[in-house]
Amino acid sequence: MSFELPNEIEETRKRAREFALKEFTSELIDHYDETEEYPNEIRKKVFDAGFITIENPWNMLVAMEEFCRVDPGIGLSALASVFGSEILLLYGTEEQKEKYLYPTLKGEKISAVAVTEPGAGSDVAGITSKLEKIEGGWILNGHKMFITNGTVADHYYLLARSAPPPSKEKRHHGLTLAIVERKWKGVNPVKLKGKLGMRATDTAEITFENVNVPNENIVGEEGKGFYIIMTFFNISRVYVAAQSVGTAQGILDLVFEYLSNKPASFREMEYVQFALAEMNTLVEVARNITYKAAAKVFSFNPDPALTSMAKYYAAEVANQVANMAFKIVGMEASGTKLEKLYRDAKITEIWEGTSEIEKLVIARMILKKIQEAK
Amino acid sequence: MASEEQKLLVSMIEQFAKTELENATQKIEKERISKDLRKKLAELGLFSATLPQSEGGSGIDKKSFSLILMTLAKYSASVAYFTYLQNTLVNELLYKLSNKKEVIAKIGSGELTGTLVHDLNLNFQHEIFIKGLELYGTSNFVTLPDADVHLVMARSEGSSYLVITKPTSTALRKPLGFRGISFGTSIYKEKIENEQIISKEAENILQNHFLETGDQIAAIALGISEAAIEKAIEYSKERKAFESYLYEFQPISAVLSDMKGRIEDMKKALTLAESIQDKMFLKLNSLEIARLASRVALQIYGGYGYLEDLGVERYYRDSMHLTMLASNYIKEIKILSKEIISPEAFKI
Ligand SMILES: Cc1cc2nc3c(=O)[nH]c(=O)nc-3n(C[C@H](O)[C@H](O)[C@H](O)COP(=O)(O)OP(=O)(O)OC[C@H]3O[C@@H](n4cnc5c(N)ncnc54)[C@H](O)[C@@H]3O)c2cc1C
Repeated sequence: MSFELPNEIEETRKRAREFALKEFTSELIDHYDETEEYPNEIRKKVFDAGFITIENPWNMLVAMEEFCRVDPGIGLSALASVFGSEILLLYGTEEQKEKYLYPTLKGEKISAVAVTEPGAGSDVAGITSKLEKIEGGWILNGHKMFITNGTVADHYYLLARSAPPPSKEKRHHGLTLAIVERKWKGVNPVKLKGKLGMRATDTAEITFENVNVPNENIVGEEGKGFYIIMTFFNISRVYVAAQSVGTAQGILDLVFEYLSNKPASFREMEYVQFALAEMNTLVEVARNITYKAAAKVFSFNPDPALTSMAKYYAAEVANQVANMAFKIVGMEASGTKLEKLYRDAKITEIWEGTSEIEKLVIARMILKKIQEAK
Repeated sequence: MASEEQKLLVSMIEQFAKTELENATQKIEKERISKDLRKKLAELGLFSATLPQSEGGSGIDKKSFSLILMTLAKYSASVAYFTYLQNTLVNELLYKLSNKKEVIAKIGSGELTGTLVHDLNLNFQHEIFIKGLELYGTSNFVTLPDADVHLVMARSEGSSYLVITKPTSTALRKPLGFRGISFGTSIYKEKIENEQIISKEAENILQNHFLETGDQIAAIALGISEAAIEKAIEYSKERKAFESYLYEFQPISAVLSDMKGRIEDMKKALTLAESIQDKMFLKLNSLEIARLASRVALQIYGGYGYLEDLGVERYYRDSMHLTMLASNYIKEIKILSKEIISPEAFKI
């Protein structure tokens, strides 16, 4: 049994590292952090360099890790320009793929996933955006919140309620997934500025007012949108885990650099050495669980509990390692990238399912096993 | 426990904070503490709060001043730290070490601002030196580098001086926290006069001053913690998920009550801490609680917590920035270990 990734993936990792070091310059990192602009030029370069290939998800995963190691904001922005593509890959019709997926995978279009609403984030079944059937299609009314790529995407994979829930227990029934284009009449995205971190990512609040959605833009079975989104989260969460591992590794790199530049007496202190050992161990474990979860997802044998463990644990590690790094570097962290990574890291405990929601998923899977064993 | 007099003073500051700070916090963070606000804080006597009344100070006892800082920090940690900087790090030191009454009075009245530039919380010494009467060097970690008066710690062959001066040039940058106060680099390159040297034992004096006033940093940390957790408790009573209020979920109410309890314990400890050792532990623990409480609060706010509009992410930045500014864990635990265990402790 080998714990090594195949050579070709390690090659991609190496290339991704070199690419990020060359392209994500300090000036650009500061620029996007300051202005909160979307790094479209870098996105194009990432495409041209061939890092966006959902057919070979391992490449995307290691690119995510290496990009976030250098800058999570720019790195994630570029790679997440195809956000939600797996939805069409798994559930889309050939026409939908032709129109939306393939151009996105060629870098000609940008996609987004619109689930969260002002009143419902963790509680996906609690969303209130409505799809109403009319002749030949649907009318969409609703309000989405915190949507990544919201003002730059060409189209959204959007979840809305198309039928009332049959019962209190079955609130997740009656939700439908639709592809909605940003330029359609009635769609109004507004950029949200002032995020703590990940400021190179585009985030928007979007209202939908009497938007016409043709029948052919419904993805999968009507009323089964919840399952589609949950299947997607099972995939996307491993990428967030990789984002966390990359961020944590980036923090380790900075601590390493700090210690290399300081007199040896500082790193010879056992206190510093223990902190270093603990931080490196945490990141190594986070990476291993992320790859294990990814291996299952990428071989079409997902283990939702493991995926949630990876996402929750890696996020925890990114934040813990950021805190520990400050304890070593102290005031000298001021004005360095460490401050930025501390701000960027926090999002990993929130998006694609908060840490609390991941714990609920894990616990439910375990309880199910207890039930089955009885 | 707080005395009646202390309670009265704190309630007056609370009243002030409610009218002047509560709705202005975002503005303060964006545009920095204005001249007008500085004047109002000065009128309350906060910039020479702990100096004796006979010397034009407010004569507020140190415990009460800590409570004032905690109250201010609940509304604006920037304002609290600014007040601590003016009163404790600049005016108290000037009063202790010099006879610069005019400068003290002007800082007290808010006419001038002051800052202290030192390296005691850094892992390594900063490179500001004094050679003869030539002061030169740079510090990259200056709070309020555009202050009118700089107290600068400069080294010279084994000794350390405290010099009252102005920088030759400054460069500002956006700090992690306390964005209501400017932050950045100060460069010094000038000939000074003898009377500008106000101490030739700067390191010792500053070290002791920091140890003695560590409870004031704890107070600011506790103000941040309390504000963060109170806000999160409030939010947990408004926000619903899965058709229940957030506070109804066991892990949420558990973490909130736990944090609240720890903050209350620390607040009691704040009123009791007398010895240097007490104050040091109080500071380290309060800073840790502030980092934890702000992380919990941000998390409970979910996506909304990540945006500055709701004012929760600020606690997350401020608590870490305060830790960086006012503490060096390795140095402090070393002092404590040597005192508690043995002078030979924390060696290897
Ligand atoms: C920068 C950014 C980008 C985002 N991008 C997208 C995107 O592209 N598409 C999209 O659809 N969404 C996106 N989101 C939304 C994100 O997924 C949600 O913020 C997240 O799911 C949490 O939802 P919420 O903010 O409504 O918090 P809430 O659901 O209101 O949760 C608040 C708190 O309560 C906790 N909680 C909730 N239920 C329970 C429970 N049963 N037990 C214990 N604790 C509980 C949560 O963990 C959290 O701590 C983004 C958010 C941000 C900040």
